[in-house]
Amino acid sequence: MEQLLTNIFFYILASAALIATLMSVTRRNPVHAVIYLVMGFFALALIFYLLGAPLIAAWEVIVYAGAIMVLFLFIIMILQLAPQDLPAAAGYGRWLPALLLGGTIAACSVLLIMTDPLASSRLPSFYAAPRAFGQALFTHYALAVEAASLQLLFAAVGAWYIGRPGSRKGAK
Amino acid sequence: MSGPELFALLPVLILAGGSIVWLMLGAFGLGYRTIVIGGVFSAATVALCAGLLPPATVEVTGLFGTGSYARFFTILWALAAALTLLLSLRYGANRHFGGGEYTALTLLAATGMALLSGATSLVGVFLGLELLSLAFYVLIAFNRDSAHSAEACIKYLVLGSVATAFLAFGIALIYAASGSFHLPEALAGVVSNGALHPLGLFGWLLVTVAVGFKTSLVPFHFWTPDVYQGAPAPVSGFLAAGSKGAVLAALVPLLAGFGPDWALLHPLVVGLTALTLIVGSLCALAQTNLKRMLAYSSIVQVGYLFIGFLAGNSGGFEAVVFYLVVYAVVTLGTFGVITSLSGSRAEVQDYDSLRGVGFRHPFRAATLTILLLSLAGIPATAGFIAKFGIFRAAIKGDFIGLTLLAVIASLVSLYYYLRPVLVMFTENNAEGNTLHPGNELEHAVLGVCLLATLLLGLYPGPLLDLIHGLF
Repeated sequence: MEQLLTNIFFYILASAALIATLMSVTRRNPVHAVIYLVMGFFALALIFYLLGAPLIAAWEVIVYAGAIMVLFLFIIMILQLAPQDLPAAAGYGRWLPALLLGGTIAACSVLLIMTDPLASSRLPSFYAAPRAFGQALFTHYALAVEAASLQLLFAAVGAWYIGRPGSRKGAK
Repeated sequence: MSGPELFALLPVLILAGGSIVWLMLGAFGLGYRTIVIGGVFSAATVALCAGLLPPATVEVTGLFGTGSYARFFTILWALAAALTLLLSLRYGANRHFGGGEYTALTLLAATGMALLSGATSLVGVFLGLELLSLAFYVLIAFNRDSAHSAEACIKYLVLGSVATAFLAFGIALIYAASGSFHLPEALAGVVSNGALHPLGLFGWLLVTVAVGFKTSLVPFHFWTPDVYQGAPAPVSGFLAAGSKGAVLAALVPLLAGFGPDWALLHPLVVGLTALTLIVGSLCALAQTNLKRMLAYSSIVQVGYLFIGFLAGNSGGFEAVVFYLVVYAVVTLGTFGVITSLSGSRAEVQDYDSLRGVGFRHPFRAATLTILLLSLAGIPATAGFIAKFGIFRAAIKGDFIGLTLLAVIASLVSLYYYLRPVLVMFTENNAEGNTLHPGNELEHAVLGVCLLATLLLGLYPGPLLDLIHGLF
């Protein structure tokens, strides 16, 4: 029974995530695209929760839906990417898909909290508990973490080097 | 991580640490030349370390190997980074490169290559590949005064990100099918009863796309000529030799671990290889730009290498490793000649600007000629031994059709390799002498590449024995 319930949740959330990301890459208005992307992140977070990884679910929301989305919006605002001359879609076409998706995801999270199929699931939800996760990250995968942080450092250095103001004499 | 593991990883740690140290010193205002020479010394230290200090363990935290195979490639990529930095000394100073960033990124790319070549886990493969790709995204655009550089960077960045997504998805599917990131288990887990698990098969297809992009296998090769043309010449050489080489070096233990099940993927790879040889050769014929010709020729070279992979179990893997070493030396040298001939503004790219080089700069013209002949596989050069090894393995492994195709491609390649040579030696053009006379250091580096090419062509025994010992 619980397995069936988990499966139903999974398929609803997975299709919500797919639709949201598809909408995100097909929208011409970047702000709309970001909104759909956030919905995709929320659906993914719930899937992580279903799989027994509440910590990753929380991070998905905090880091991706929170921080990364804010970053995207800032960039859109700073570069003034939001187009002024796009033909507005007819009335409900603009907000109905977002509302439906958002409603589905919200309903799923409420239902998940109420039924909590994880409580009786066979999946060891402690697997991704913060302590175990942190220990795995900084002992077994320490090298991987260091390699990834090197990458982030040099991504910042590279972005600064290429993007810094200064002579660009031959640039056309 | 324990002490012995850290000690085993010491060469890579020195590379990465050196990268950060030179970046910091650059930020504190140390000059370009000092930093680049410092970078050369740290890369040389790494090569010495990797060669002289025997590792205590053969694997670190289940991600990266530190055995003799990984050490071999650590030495190769560290030396390649050192040669690249030496060749960039004048070239970069003329173009006001930031010394700290340039040295740091070159060493970082070498770190990624060393990690990737020794990866024993799919996570290791991903991290190593991303580390080196990220370094190259920036290095390609390093000449901020060139619009071509920026164009090349955008092309490589966008397509590279897509390839990364394919790789990540493929790894996830292989993990889903096998339940492990660690290569031996991950490889064994996707095969059951002599057939690939559907998820595993799909995962491998996605990984093939990513590998095909990074090694510019047709039909994932479209970025190659533009990026090679737009990137600064020393970076193009390092990209061709190292980025491709490291991915292929990582494939060797991976496919060798597959054992006889590797034959399950053969039909796909045979098709891609044949396509690569044909399309690469045909496109190379039409080029009149040295860097673009070398890009298409590198596509054909990857075709030869994949024949070696196909025939892996009949000695092909050893042939591939030898080929990678030869290819690294020859490619660095070829792009080194372009670097050395380039003055402070434009690069020497068009065949027209090579007119009469043979008379005015005979040493570098001769070097370029011999290196191109080595790429074509003429006897007495290293390229001949390398190709011979691949073809011998292919015939042993019963890939007669592909071998024939490769031999025809080699014959065709003589035409496009000899075209710039003819231009250099037959037409004397007294006016418009814009080529840089080069300096002693560049000549010495080119001399090293030339010597290595001839030495490996005439006396390949020691290296072949060394490579034989790696397996």
